[in-house]
Amino acid sequence: MPTIAVDAMGGDHGPDEVVKGVAQVSLETEIETLLVGDEARIQAVLERVPYNPEHIAILHCRDAIGMGETPREAVKKKDASLVVGVRAVADGRAAAMVSAGNTGACVLACAQHFALLPGIKRAALASVYPRHTEYDGQDPLALLLDVGATVRCEAPELVQFALMGSAYARRISKLPSPRVGLLNMGSEEGKGGDVLAEAHRRLRALPGITFVGNVEGNDLVHGRADVIVCEGLLGNVALKLLEGVAEVLGEVTRSAAESRVTWRLGLRLLSGGIDRLQALVDYRQYGGAPILGFQQLFLKCHGRSSSGAIANAVKVAAKAVRDRVPAEIADAVAALR
Amino acid sequence: MKVIRFRRPPAPLPALLCRWDLDKTYLRSEFDTLGQLWRTAWETGADKVEVPGVVDVIKGLKACAERHGRAAQLQFISASPPQIGKAIRDKLALDGIPYDSITFKDQLQHLRRGNLRKLREHAGFKLTELLRGRRGAPTDARELLFGDDWESDPLIYSVYADMVAGRLGGALLERVLGRIGVDATTVAAIVAAAGEVAGPARVDRIFINLERRTPTGVFRLYGPRVVPSFNYFQTALVLAGDGWLDPEDLLRVARALAGGAGFTPRRLENSLADLVRRGHVTPDSGDRLARPLRKAGLLPPGPRGPADWFRRRLAALRRGRRPLASDEALDYTAILERLPARRATPEAKAT
Repeated sequence: MPTIAVDAMGGDHGPDEVVKGVAQVSLETEIETLLVGDEARIQAVLERVPYNPEHIAILHCRDAIGMGETPREAVKKKDASLVVGVRAVADGRAAAMVSAGNTGACVLACAQHFALLPGIKRAALASVYPRHTEYDGQDPLALLLDVGATVRCEAPELVQFALMGSAYARRISKLPSPRVGLLNMGSEEGKGGDVLAEAHRRLRALPGITFVGNVEGNDLVHGRADVIVCEGLLGNVALKLLEGVAEVLGEVTRSAAESRVTWRLGLRLLSGGIDRLQALVDYRQYGGAPILGFQQLFLKCHGRSSSGAIANAVKVAAKAVRDRVPAEIADAVAALR
Repeated sequence: MKVIRFRRPPAPLPALLCRWDLDKTYLRSEFDTLGQLWRTAWETGADKVEVPGVVDVIKGLKACAERHGRAAQLQFISASPPQIGKAIRDKLALDGIPYDSITFKDQLQHLRRGNLRKLREHAGFKLTELLRGRRGAPTDARELLFGDDWESDPLIYSVYADMVAGRLGGALLERVLGRIGVDATTVAAIVAAAGEVAGPARVDRIFINLERRTPTGVFRLYGPRVVPSFNYFQTALVLAGDGWLDPEDLLRVARALAGGAGFTPRRLENSLADLVRRGHVTPDSGDRLARPLRKAGLLPPGPRGPADWFRRRLAALRRGRRPLASDEALDYTAILERLPARRATPEAKAT
């Protein structure tokens, strides 16, 4: 079983929710975890919950990186849990890392301590998000990358993102031939400027992936593509928009229920459907966003992750290690060369 | 002229009395459902499965005591009915366990007398049997008690230990017994016996096998005498730290777990580290106990340098665990407050 390093101090609810998530994993699976953070605080949480100590090791460090800290300054803290954890993975003490901490610092720490896979120019932060399915048996989750690791990209980098996302979906979502789309402002191949037009041309000619052409913003939530490729700036805006819409929908539903009795009754009748919708947009189900392109794996969880979300992320990280996702990406890039 | 010096032979070490629960402590009994209970009733000795490592811990305790010239007694006390006694004795014989006595709860007798409350009430039975065993043992015997986290073993054993030490009696003892559902006649008998057994003997440790994975913080109120352990490697480590097991016995337990229960060196290492973090083994003692295990390849090679040693020492200091002095009584009022609510019985009300 692989050892997964977990940044115990990261996120809005660290170390409580993180440690509880790891404790849950220790009881449900054989995955070994390396909790990185303040030992006394971690132990204090462990003593309040059921856990299996045989699967949990603790790597003590004093410091932590706050969610609001500047990434460049934050990663200079050599004894911060995130940095210590990433170093532990780089040194081979763990096979992958999970953190709900500061996203920028996570990406930067990976860039500083992990080696890029041969042929990869830039890493990508991928996000798994829920979408409508077009046919029975289609995965209800799609992969969007990059969502912030590389703000501006060139066409060859977008092509590499397509290869990375495709390899990840093949291994983790078990899709034999994931459909890849390029996020653009129109479906025509010349749209979006030189970079996107060039990326479109290259992707269309690329063997080994199933390219479905340009996809527009509304296609994000439809089932047209399983992997959607874009530069970090655009991906981040799109992802935050999806999250924002889901949050507003929830708030509107709640306020509707409070304002009129008839609406409340109506919502009660629809409660089954609403629960399913909430489950679909619940980020806790998706096990974090992988940072792809490095020889080591890193899963970035939502900052507000609950113990369940952390537990899922650890399981996905272990699955990605077992299924040799980095090797799959390296093979795909090598085949291109 | 030859001077003959007469040396007084060393005083014999006080005897060791080990008292074990059976189900969920020695045996991996499963009777959470009626179906499982039915199956358990029909199991033969060969069907029964022990908790990994327990056999080697028991054999180690006996062997270590013999090695050091200490008498050791092993007693089992079970709330199971004597009707399954044959299967249990067969199992213990199969495992080669050198036990001295085994006591079952005669449920049929209670049923015949129509005393249905006594069918479910185990605390009074267990305390009575513990006291009976105490009376038959040498007065200065040291005791180790082994139970699990399914019922009230930590509380029953702690009450017994404090009675033996002369720290618990009278009204407080009556209140505790009433609260845990012991009937009035048994309460009176136990309170009377408490005065008789108080003496130089003492209960050194109470080991609780965390079969249900009860959060370890729950046991804080019981003080460091109670050691909640997740596996018998942890139990063996504490016993070895206290001198009840020799390094070779500890090695045997670790080998049994590595060979038969799939414990990897990493899992054993994590178990040791957990015990150190919880304060049941000091960092120094942990290092000392780990040395022969590392040498035998049962623990990963020691990765630790001075920096790591310093860091762990600092973490231990930060935890700031206050050791419970041996003559300090437990806060039974706080313990009772944390017990799950139960229906008040007339006896409990009376006390």
